[in-house]
Amino acid sequence: MDAENWLVGIIGRALAFGTPLLWAALGETYVERAGVVNLGMEGMMLVGALTGFAVTMATDNPALGILMAGVAGAVFSALHAFVTITLRANQYVSGLALTILGTGATGLIGKAYEGQPLLTTLENISVPVLKDIPILGPMLFTDQSVLTYLGVLIGVLLWLLLYKSRLGIMLRSAGENPKAVDAQGLNVTLIRYAAVIFGGFMAGIAGGFFSVAYRPSWTQGTTGGVGWIALAIVIFGRWNPMYVMLGSVFFGALYVLSFRLQEKLSPDLLNMMPYLFVILVLILTAIGKKGSGGVPEALGTPYRRGER
Amino acid sequence: MKKAAALALTVALVSSAQAADKLKVGWIYIGPAGDYGWTYAHDQARKEVEKTLGVENLIVESVPEAQAVPYIDQLVKQGAKVIFATSFGYGPSVKEAAKKYPDVIFGWATGVERGPNIANYMADFYQIYYLNGLIAGALTKSNKVGYVAAVPIPEVKRHINAFALGVAAANPKATVNVTWLKGFYDPNGAKEATESLIAQGVDAFAFTEDTPTVSQVADKKGLPSFGHYSPMLKYAPKTMASGQLVDWSIFYTDFLKKVQNGTYTAKNLQNVDYWQLLGDKAVMMGADEKTLINPVYKAKLQSVKVKTADLGTLSVYDLVLKRLAQMNKKKPTFDPFKGPIVDRKGKTVVTKGKIPSVKELTSMEWAAKNVVGSWPNEPK
Repeated sequence: MDAENWLVGIIGRALAFGTPLLWAALGETYVERAGVVNLGMEGMMLVGALTGFAVTMATDNPALGILMAGVAGAVFSALHAFVTITLRANQYVSGLALTILGTGATGLIGKAYEGQPLLTTLENISVPVLKDIPILGPMLFTDQSVLTYLGVLIGVLLWLLLYKSRLGIMLRSAGENPKAVDAQGLNVTLIRYAAVIFGGFMAGIAGGFFSVAYRPSWTQGTTGGVGWIALAIVIFGRWNPMYVMLGSVFFGALYVLSFRLQEKLSPDLLNMMPYLFVILVLILTAIGKKGSGGVPEALGTPYRRGER
Repeated sequence: MKKAAALALTVALVSSAQAADKLKVGWIYIGPAGDYGWTYAHDQARKEVEKTLGVENLIVESVPEAQAVPYIDQLVKQGAKVIFATSFGYGPSVKEAAKKYPDVIFGWATGVERGPNIANYMADFYQIYYLNGLIAGALTKSNKVGYVAAVPIPEVKRHINAFALGVAAANPKATVNVTWLKGFYDPNGAKEATESLIAQGVDAFAFTEDTPTVSQVADKKGLPSFGHYSPMLKYAPKTMASGQLVDWSIFYTDFLKKVQNGTYTAKNLQNVDYWQLLGDKAVMMGADEKTLINPVYKAKLQSVKVKTADLGTLSVYDLVLKRLAQMNKKKPTFDPFKGPIVDRKGKTVVTKGKIPSVKELTSMEWAAKNVVGSWPNEPK
């Protein structure tokens, strides 16, 4: 196998494994841009994965399964929205609770689906015409999930929306200076609710990707900690959808390489890489704090009207 | 309302009084019971003994190997008299807890050290891996067979080696390409590891991981694979060639019966070491209970002929059946590890005519000649 084929293979797989990271991290980017942290990523993804699997199994309609995975994630995340925005509870604690609840509940409810294969799954597709482009065709447009293509399109859309629209300004302001948003007569609570629920929707789809497309089956804890990497990618991507997309592919590549480079490097070292990079990014973010850090100013702080 | 509450309380008291007579058994699982692999298989046996022996079970799932002691503390506090720790890595925790609770009986699955209150037990697949290897060697066209491996411990290495010896017996040209996951439950890793092996040209798969993922990925590409631990045929009906199945209830029933009737106590387990094979009916070959070899591959396996020292020239299909019959006995007349065996470094690891002891099997670190890939702790 020559270097070109090798690279094509790596990027292709990086995109595939990067897909759930992409959906989850893009959603969380909007959540955090609005000033809320949701550490419930694993929980929301698992709720999505189980729902997606169950709905697809019942209806033989994987598209509906994926959609309902998103809806389930959204409903589940509304819990976090209520607790942190309306009740103003600690966002970190609530998010962790969401993860624990989601993991436990899906483990329990999912018992009935263990050991059951899915007959109709979301099949991979190749894009006509584009797949025939040399190198780029096999790298990007061959045998990928429709969610991979869709994820990239949505990523671009979210970037445009965030930086080039009034809605984007509102969202960013809710995360930077909610008081100013309020002063303008806009509803901070509403904006934050919408963002959190949107994030839950995206996380649910990321989970559905695992159980309906990537490895169509339900096993307990099937997402295997991917949610935490998605959270790290948001920081890595400086809360910018474009960088978040790059980050997802980058972390996808790190994961894939941990299997491809085993003969040359210790598998332990390779498995460590994604986490090492997360720490590295956190350090760099901390050093370059004030100014271009990209952290939404009011991130993690509940908003109370009329308080100074 | 009050009456109902009082009634409920009475019922609760009665049931707890009844429960007091039951033997309480604690189960420490390495993964989720819903993995459809290793832990699932143990949990099936757990349900079985609950029904047949009437024991009361306490379960903890996904317990980290190095931190089992606090979980054991909890189980003992809740009244467990027997505790099964279902993974090799629980060794240090089991030894520590066994000292702390000398009256509690411990069963350490795949364990390699016993004590007055520690028994070891294992239902081992190495014979079946060899048979699966024969099939894989006959089915590969690229002469590259893949193995997605969990954690580099002697148990997994023994299985890879048995598989590789089988591959070599059917196809001396084929290699066994190994990729490590470094975890027993890692479906996402199993997916990417399989994809990575496919990219290397591998076209037949065996694995040690606790989900059907490897077979699912291979099936998508129309490549044969071998199921592991649970009947996984339904995940890859057209491509799963065969596989390894377990019935842990054979061990658990026997052991717990002997605890209930007082044969085993917390004082006399020093030599209790269950090592169960095909002959004990604790393990079986097959893609599921009814499918020993997938009929899809029958013609192909019948067309590949091999020469053996003891059975003459015969098809791989017949060879598999003959070898299975030889090992399906209490005293097997064939062993995959019978010497002479030379490892991939060129060292003789089993001398001519010798069959390794259980101790040698459970401490195996060498790699068979046709194994390709990294091999942690390989003897120099």
